[in-house]
Amino acid sequence: MSDAVLACDGLRKQYGQMVAVDGIGFSIAEGETYGLLGPNGAGKTTSIAMIVGVLARDAGDVLIDGQKHDVNSVKTKSLIGYVPQEMALYPDLTARQNLRFFGRMYGLSRNDIKRKTDEVLEIIGLADRADETIGGFSGGMMRRLNIGVGLIHRPRLLILDEPTVGVDPQSRNAILDSVEQLAGEGVAVLYTTHYMEEAERLCDRVGIVDKGRMQAEGTRRELVAMVGEHDRVTLTAEGDLARAAAALREMPEARQVSHDESRIELMVPEAGVVLARALHEVTEAGVTVRSVEVREPDLEAVFLHLTGKALRD
Amino acid sequence: MKVLAIAMVNLRRVFREKTNIFFIVITPIATVLMMGLLFGGGQEVRLGVVSGPGPLAERLVKAVSEGERIRIERVGSEAELRSQIERGVIQAGLTLPANYDQELLAGRNVAVSFVARPGDPQALELGVWVRSVGGQEGALLRAARFGTAEGKGSFEQTLAAAEKATVPGIEISVRTTGKALFPAGFNSFALSAPSLMIMFMFLTSLTAAIGIIETRLLGVSRRMYSTPTPVGVLVAGESLGRILIALVQGLLVMIGSALIFGVNWGDPFAAAVLLVVFSLVGGGAALLLGSVFHVPGPAISLALLLGLGLAALGGVMVPLESFSGTMQAIAHITPHAWAYEAFAELVRHGGGVADILPQLGVLLAFAAVLFGIGMSRLRQALIH
Repeated sequence: MSDAVLACDGLRKQYGQMVAVDGIGFSIAEGETYGLLGPNGAGKTTSIAMIVGVLARDAGDVLIDGQKHDVNSVKTKSLIGYVPQEMALYPDLTARQNLRFFGRMYGLSRNDIKRKTDEVLEIIGLADRADETIGGFSGGMMRRLNIGVGLIHRPRLLILDEPTVGVDPQSRNAILDSVEQLAGEGVAVLYTTHYMEEAERLCDRVGIVDKGRMQAEGTRRELVAMVGEHDRVTLTAEGDLARAAAALREMPEARQVSHDESRIELMVPEAGVVLARALHEVTEAGVTVRSVEVREPDLEAVFLHLTGKALRD
Repeated sequence: MKVLAIAMVNLRRVFREKTNIFFIVITPIATVLMMGLLFGGGQEVRLGVVSGPGPLAERLVKAVSEGERIRIERVGSEAELRSQIERGVIQAGLTLPANYDQELLAGRNVAVSFVARPGDPQALELGVWVRSVGGQEGALLRAARFGTAEGKGSFEQTLAAAEKATVPGIEISVRTTGKALFPAGFNSFALSAPSLMIMFMFLTSLTAAIGIIETRLLGVSRRMYSTPTPVGVLVAGESLGRILIALVQGLLVMIGSALIFGVNWGDPFAAAVLLVVFSLVGGGAALLLGSVFHVPGPAISLALLLGLGLAALGGVMVPLESFSGTMQAIAHITPHAWAYEAFAELVRHGGGVADILPQLGVLLAFAAVLFGIGMSRLRQALIH
């Protein structure tokens, strides 16, 4: 904890009777990328707001680079780059004007603002569109600029709240590359996402949040081990899927079975051993299988196991 | 520095939008032009005259035209005269019969008619003047006719003698006291420019309050708060932004109307002080409005309602001087009435800062209250 760029502990926030965040705590070291995963309403954004220092907490501590941090901390706020979920930019200004404005808000000198604005525009790939009003930008370009603003002062801790929502694949890749590069340069990154593949690609450690509490935390390997090394079998099918799912639950190897209108999800220790029998049971239940997908243990499975929900629910 | 950065970004956003330039700069100047033309012509009263030829008819018309601020417009027929009065082209009309001279020379009475719209105070005042001139002219003509009848010469000779005669009579001297509402030779554009500037500055300030709501809705305020910037600086920056928007608009209207229409705003220092103080009032109102609402829709509606409603109530749409005593008292619950009075003192009567100290004090009190509440509300909105 002592060399952590971010260390938070016992964060709590209550609105009336509703406890939005209840005792969340974790730490992020220099150059580490930490993923905060959770379904909608889990308390991720509230936690981030308290960590950034834009929302007063009811309890808990936040240390940035070992220094106490809260809503009134001017010094430690200069160490944080915050990329909120919404496009927190002036749509009627140009990309350069937005960057310069926030450069001034971070207290950079005139020369630093000019130099770093040019640097950031290169990093986010908007140098050739720098002097256009951003109201005409695509979603991906806006997202990249949104991140650029968080980088203008070269922060020690970069906090990205769902930075790739609504972004085309090309822009998403560019964003992920940038995050990897920054982490490689020693920036501590706190990253929330709905996309499991992003978390798997970027995050050294992951915290899974649900109902305002930290449900589990660790590396991908540690989390997967926590729920058992199970394969996930997805059957896309037609017919009485409820009856087929009930039949699959009777199989001794089945650890978890769920279904919706078109798919059955089955968790088993080794898919190769039980797949033929599972298909037989489903066919016997009068269901026609259109496709079969087998996935090795991943964070999605861990998430499903811990929260009972898919990440995008 | 950060306060200024926030203020300037607000100013830049407002003036970057071309439609805003139209409403903030062009519309007020165009309205000053329109109102100046509407009430213009150096406040001359236009009197249409229908008359036949003849030196006696011309004598009467010339005597009437010697009144203050009267401009004679010759009209071809009585029907045309009535039409022009009804359309407001001229204020009133005087019709002399075609045989005016012949009838008088024949020693008969002549009927001259004066026509005006009902309830037009300028026309009524003109009617009094025409009656007075008619009475004097009639007395001379009667004297001349009497002289002719007594064999003292021809009508022309006796009329000339009557004009030269110094007959004792009643002399009524008319004097004024106090300040004229509108000094002689007062520029008609200067009549409307201060009122319109007050109205537009306040209206623009209130509509610019939408910027505060948008900034919060976009998440920019919260993002600014995530930077090493104390909340007090954010609030001060937003406040200064509102003041600058009002100030720049006021300054542009002032300079524009002075250069284009020759409006004299009086003592430059006093006018500048008053402009700044009224900008504070507009800025304070904007800050309060922007901090109370969470979405732009209702705020825009209220901005228009207050911007136009307070202008009407405060005597900047219809001159405050035309209000009844009670309504003038009520008007002074608005900052507009105080600003109007102060500008009237500077523009019409050449007053200085010392002459408008009470108005400045009241306007500063308005600004202090509006800013106090607005800053407190915005601070709450930013941290919760």
